[in-house]
Amino acid sequence: MIKGIIIVNNHGKPRLVKFYHPVESEQLQQSVIRRVFTQVSSRPDSFCNYLEGIVPEWGENVKLIYRHYATLYFVFAVDAQESDLGILDLIQVFVEALDKCFENVCELDLIFHSDRVHYVLDEIVMGGMVLETNISAILQSIKDQGKMATESLSKTDDSQSASKIREQLGDSKWMYSW
Amino acid sequence: MATGGINLSKEFFELLKAIGESKSKQEEDRIIAKEVQCLKQKLEPTPPGVNPPLQSKKRAKEFLVRLLYVEMLGHDASFGYIKAVEMAASASLYHKRTGYLVCSACLSPEHEFRFMLVNQMQRDLQSANVLEICGGLLASTALITSDMVPAMSGEVTKLITHDSETVRKKAIITLHRFYELAPDVVTFDELYEKVRKVLCDRDPAVMGSVLNVIEEMAKEDPTKFKDLIPSLVSILKQIGEHRLPNDFDYHRVPAPWMQIRLIRILSLLGQGDAASSSGMYEILFDTMKKADVGINAGYAIVYECIKCITKIYPNAKLLDAAADAISRFIESRSHNLKYLGVTGLAMIVETHPQYAAQHQMSVMDCLEDPDETLQRKTLDLLYRMTNPVNVEFITDKLLDFLRGTTDLFLKQQLTTRVCSVAERYAPSNAWYIKTITQLFEVSGDMVKPEVAQNLMSLIAEGTGESDEADMLLRQTAIDLYVQLLQEKPPAKLPKILLETMAWCLGEYAYLSAALSLEDILAKLCHWNKAALQPSTRKFLTSAIFKLVAQAGTCPKQAAEVVDEYTRSKDVDLQQRCLEFQALLTTAPQYLGEILPVDASAEDVEVDVNLSFLDGFCQQALANGARAYEKPEDDDDDEEDYGAAGAASSAFKMTPYAKPETNINRSAMLARGMGTGGQPAGISLPPGSISGNQAVVSTSVDVVGDGLSLNTRGVANVWGKKPGALPAAPPPAAAPAPAAVAPSTFDSSATANVGGFGGPSSNAFGTASYGGAAYGQAPASVLTKTPEQLEKERMAAALFGGIVPGAAPPPAFAPPAPMAPPRQTVAAPPVAAPPVAAPPVTLAPAPAEEVDLLDLGAFDVAAPAPALANDVFGSSTLEPATATAPPIVETVSENEDVLPAPAPVQQATIDPFAAEGLLGDLSETPLQGFGILSSKYEYNGSVMAPMKIVTAQFGQQWGSCTATSPVSVTSRKVTFLNDFMKQCEEAGLHPVEAIGATNEGICAGIVEGGSKVVLVHGKLSPMGSGAAKIDITVKSTDSTLSGSLALYLQNMMK
Repeated sequence: MIKGIIIVNNHGKPRLVKFYHPVESEQLQQSVIRRVFTQVSSRPDSFCNYLEGIVPEWGENVKLIYRHYATLYFVFAVDAQESDLGILDLIQVFVEALDKCFENVCELDLIFHSDRVHYVLDEIVMGGMVLETNISAILQSIKDQGKMATESLSKTDDSQSASKIREQLGDSKWMYSW
Repeated sequence: MATGGINLSKEFFELLKAIGESKSKQEEDRIIAKEVQCLKQKLEPTPPGVNPPLQSKKRAKEFLVRLLYVEMLGHDASFGYIKAVEMAASASLYHKRTGYLVCSACLSPEHEFRFMLVNQMQRDLQSANVLEICGGLLASTALITSDMVPAMSGEVTKLITHDSETVRKKAIITLHRFYELAPDVVTFDELYEKVRKVLCDRDPAVMGSVLNVIEEMAKEDPTKFKDLIPSLVSILKQIGEHRLPNDFDYHRVPAPWMQIRLIRILSLLGQGDAASSSGMYEILFDTMKKADVGINAGYAIVYECIKCITKIYPNAKLLDAAADAISRFIESRSHNLKYLGVTGLAMIVETHPQYAAQHQMSVMDCLEDPDETLQRKTLDLLYRMTNPVNVEFITDKLLDFLRGTTDLFLKQQLTTRVCSVAERYAPSNAWYIKTITQLFEVSGDMVKPEVAQNLMSLIAEGTGESDEADMLLRQTAIDLYVQLLQEKPPAKLPKILLETMAWCLGEYAYLSAALSLEDILAKLCHWNKAALQPSTRKFLTSAIFKLVAQAGTCPKQAAEVVDEYTRSKDVDLQQRCLEFQALLTTAPQYLGEILPVDASAEDVEVDVNLSFLDGFCQQALANGARAYEKPEDDDDDEEDYGAAGAASSAFKMTPYAKPETNINRSAMLARGMGTGGQPAGISLPPGSISGNQAVVSTSVDVVGDGLSLNTRGVANVWGKKPGALPAAPPPAAAPAPAAVAPSTFDSSATANVGGFGGPSSNAFGTASYGGAAYGQAPASVLTKTPEQLEKERMAAALFGGIVPGAAPPPAFAPPAPMAPPRQTVAAPPVAAPPVAAPPVTLAPAPAEEVDLLDLGAFDVAAPAPALANDVFGSSTLEPATATAPPIVETVSENEDVLPAPAPVQQATIDPFAAEGLLGDLSETPLQGFGILSSKYEYNGSVMAPMKIVTAQFGQQWGSCTATSPVSVTSRKVTFLNDFMKQCEEAGLHPVEAIGATNEGICAGIVEGGSKVVLVHGKLSPMGSGAAKIDITVKSTDSTLSGSLALYLQNMMK
């Protein structure tokens, strides 16, 4: 499975972080990001796109598969279950999808619309599993979602109140019995 | 409010800009702290009943995105989580997505808010809106923890049959996630049933996503999915034929990820299962061919095929194709492909070492590549291809790398590997000592303590060959340690090395030529100035005691050290020092007796009869006490405390006890290198039987055997049962090509000195694999740059022993006893480039040449399979089996027994068929492929009982030189009768069972009587229904005895 996905820029600033294999604390997460960045950024582009066994937080035998696009590193941490070249192409698919969504995607898009980047990614990878690789299918569902979301904006939201929600959720805690 | 095209607020923009420009972490922290304050205010809950305007809804979302950003930078934004939960519950999809997103990213697994979301997710899963369902599913993969699974699994299961394919594919993945979290709620069987249904989904995307799940599940229990093989194969076939919509193409490769998954699943299902594997051979071959279109996505599929081919039950044709692909990867300019090539090679080389040969120069390149990933992979490859010839070179490389790395994981791994390689293949004991000492220095306490124990006992006991040799060995060790003692302060040396040094110096310091005993003693006393580990102190004081006893005087320094330790907190150490002091002051004349020179390996003299107790015993017996029964083993020589080099039975000496003789060869064979490793035209010194040939040849003259067709029948290697196919003949198959080849080769290859060499080398395509090219090197030496030469020499050192033709040049030849016979280049001179780069696509010219010859040989034989059968079959033990059609293609033409559905093309690959199989199978006992028939098979021939009597057994016992002792503790075999029965089942003849001593002897023959094996077993009951069985297997061939010993051990376990 895919343990995590990190997009980080040339200066080590994270642009997207997704942990499919949970890393407990905030600090550990940050140390993973730093470690991944130091390792990845120290390699010239001519080197191969694989790095083995350097993120203890994800367990042994984790391989980093990354691609470097201009100012950004796209890093996928995977276990032995994933295909080395397959993931490289998957990164490409991801980037192509982003490119289509944002029209010439650049680092700024990723910062300003990090939510949308997440949505695109969610269509490709779900819970660490590769969900969809067909780029047109990915784009279609992103489009559908975007449309629905905008439409839904004008809907009246009668359950907006925080206190009401809290009440409701508090009550409902009793509802599921297990 | 919105800034231009990008739809976000000025504040956010400013924030990002500020963070981007911040110079230090502190500054960033300040900016974030400000942002957090700001967000806290903004995220105040909306007053009830007010429907906020559109603009503010958008802003609310933006706040959450900002929250996510703050969180991603590693700052706490927990104040806003409740807002995220609230938003997830919103009716607007726009908000819901954002809410879920922030929750999944920020809430830790134990966070209580997760519980608050369960209800919301449940509702979303029941929604009529597909997107809401998807949102709910997505959120549940991220947010559900194991105790929430019961609340959700019902809904998710329902969704597996939803109308929308988007929902279906997400639902199955979510369900798998639940299964991982709570296998007791969503059971394997439940998921299994669903998965099989979904595999037949009408939408290919859904099918594609379920493949992930199938792979995970097949990893757990492959048997459950075996029946799916035909379906999977057919899916793969259809994808390959572009039956899927064009949408699924990626760079014109049809659905590469699905293909990859399918192949991976197939490899799981075909692993170690000949029948299942045979169903995939064709599709793998086709897929690989189709995928080879020169782009990454295609290579990904090819690579997956390679992996699969090396995993499933071997097939020669596929292995060749895989090797071909590997060579293209490895020769590629792309680092990624190189990486895959090296990885692939490492996978294939363990079982089929001959494939490594052609890549020697490329492998050297990779080793020197600045890319560490590539280097590591190459080291991994090296480790896997180690053999007795290249062990020195490879160990040096591993140690070099070990010195340079700081990565703990890698260090640990390399340390273990150096140990294992050194133990298995050490060319000489001196080398072993040196290597292990270096390893101690580099890796320190990462080395297992047993290694130090082994080393010390080796030094103490020697090899038992001759006293001079042992002395020389000790001297080597002492010289090494004295040098270390002089050069390095103890603080710089790891504990394990200090202790080993202390012990060795204490025992053998007098052997040092460089320093006198007194100097060494003084230096050792200096150690005390450094902070030592408690255990090291004991080693040190012991050494000092011994040296004082040997020197006959106690220098002041030594006395001081001892005196200091009499006040040690460690009671044991304290007592030892006090005792020593007392001894020194009161009875120095006994020092020499109490601390004797070089006696660590000797038994301490003990009055075993305890005669001084006789009177007491008599009296007790007279009083009716039961007579004491002497236990079986009486290890009474463990007196010497830490330095216990003495307990010889506790050490497994075999790996390096006599490396000069059979062990290495057998190890080599065990790794399936035997056949490939026998270089072309090696000139065999008379009497030195080499590797595989030795195994096959009878006592018949080697050359004669090699050249004449008739005698070879004696070897009758194919007399195996059809039922036992998976255990097809390992090294034994080697003579197959040899068998046929000579007839055509005779005339042309008379120059091939050692009968076997020539033909077999051809069969294995020596020349084609660049071995010959290397062989040529000396001729063209003058035209090469020194660097090239150096590289080639390294390559030769590396590939020695793997390829015919790549025996090491003298410079790298290991010490005499180990050195394989130097080869005379017998392969036909080929104009291959020294860099041994095989042409990329089609068979290289030189290869062709040889292969053609080979093919010719087969062609001659092929038209008359019946005849060939007769030739080989006549003398087999079970003639019927020889003609039975093998199930697996692998066993093809070589043996001429194949019904040969194969087109001519298949014939060409055959030389490897034998080899391919070989490699794999010689490992059988090691890898535990599972014993298929209870009868022991050696090289494909079933062991037959040898009906002899005890007296004959005794005569033979002495003449069998190869001894393999093993012992096993068994609950299954606790009586002598069981043991004899087991032996009979293995195919041995029970010669005699001696009830009185619980000993049994059995005898058997293999390979049509050419080899004799004698087995002696002794049972010692251990109580509680178990027994310890010591088995000694003797034979003329160490490989045989070793493998039978292992076999018996497994059998009785």
